[in-house]
Amino acid sequence: MEKKQPESIRNKRRPIGAVNPITTNFFHLRNPWVTAAWSAMFPGFGYIVMGSYIKGFLLVGWELLINTQAHINLAIMYSYLGKFDLARDVLDVRWTLLYLAVWAFSVWGSYSLTVDLNKLSILGNREDSTMIPVSISSWDINFLDKKQPWVAAVLSTLSPGLGHLYSHRVPTSFFLLTLTIGTVYLSHILEAIQYSALGAFGQATAVLDPQWFLFFPSLYGFAVYDSYVNTVEYNKLFEQEQARFLRDNYQSPRFDSRLLKARSQED
Amino acid sequence: MYVTGSFEYNFHVELAISELEKKDVPRDAIAAVLMDSRVEDRKIMDTIHRADGISSFDAAALLGTFCMLMGAIYGFVLTWGPIIWGLIGLLAGALLGLVGDLFISRLTSKTPIAKKPTGTAGGKAAQVFIIVECDQSQVAMVENILWDNLAQGVGKLP
Repeated sequence: MEKKQPESIRNKRRPIGAVNPITTNFFHLRNPWVTAAWSAMFPGFGYIVMGSYIKGFLLVGWELLINTQAHINLAIMYSYLGKFDLARDVLDVRWTLLYLAVWAFSVWGSYSLTVDLNKLSILGNREDSTMIPVSISSWDINFLDKKQPWVAAVLSTLSPGLGHLYSHRVPTSFFLLTLTIGTVYLSHILEAIQYSALGAFGQATAVLDPQWFLFFPSLYGFAVYDSYVNTVEYNKLFEQEQARFLRDNYQSPRFDSRLLKARSQED
Repeated sequence: MYVTGSFEYNFHVELAISELEKKDVPRDAIAAVLMDSRVEDRKIMDTIHRADGISSFDAAALLGTFCMLMGAIYGFVLTWGPIIWGLIGLLAGALLGLVGDLFISRLTSKTPIAKKPTGTAGGKAAQVFIIVECDQSQVAMVENILWDNLAQGVGKLP
């Protein structure tokens, strides 16, 4: 006896994505080295890129705790500046060794998860699965839409998190806005910018807290990169979903025959 | 008669089609042709219309971020301070990533980059052609609906 899965199950088995009120999570091809590199710069970022939020937030929280307690950022800075004695002294050995295994795991984990999600992305596309492009609930409304990638990038340069609010990737947006407030406040960046703009470079350097300031470049670059890439990929997803809808409903085999029938009635 | 309208992928295509159906054009009399194009030049930035996923943004973002970090670190011992050197690092790294990526992909790519099929039309918007089969009396109505919903072009075949 022939066994065949109903279409309703086949479409769900290898999904291309899901629209949820607070975000659209979906598969698309990524370079695993790129997500691994983001996790190397800030453990957890690679997971957040892929929409694996719980793991991502867990690792980011871990990074903030262990790095600030062990003074990893300070040790990195002193090492690059060639002050190896200072680097050795600044590390708190009560915390330092906690850093290594989890950091390595986050880099490797991002890489291997990307490889797996790429396979799921290819399978979903080959299966030509459908998706529901709108989601509405009491909390929020989300739908696939076309947006300008450069607007997302520019918004992210103005304030990390805004670009994600524009593309409706709310968890990343909330996380980046919060992380930015904490980092900016604790590192005294805004004061340093003020002093730098006025030419008081000595004061700018003195006011900065390097331990917190060194979180900022990764945070900033990540916000711009991720909001831009997501907007681009959301646009592609919109086209893919709409193409599937049009193919399913507006390519009727009767399209030509209607015309032929009409012609034959005229004759 | 056939009336044809060309659209980008957006909500307006669906608005046009649903309005036609509301005006009693049967579903079978509406056909959508999804246009593919064979080749497209590689662009540095993606746009709302076309995103090929091979833009040079990855390397620029990663190298920009890394050099921003280096600028911030060495800024602590340089005259201009970490903020200015961080910004210099960001711009220099992003530029280096962009140029390096274009250069390397030109060297390593077996097929010329400009010949990669991407499924979007001619560097512009990917397009949908809507073909409506209708009576002579409906032609003006159909044309108006297509135009009103931001068709890029409308044509008819008697």
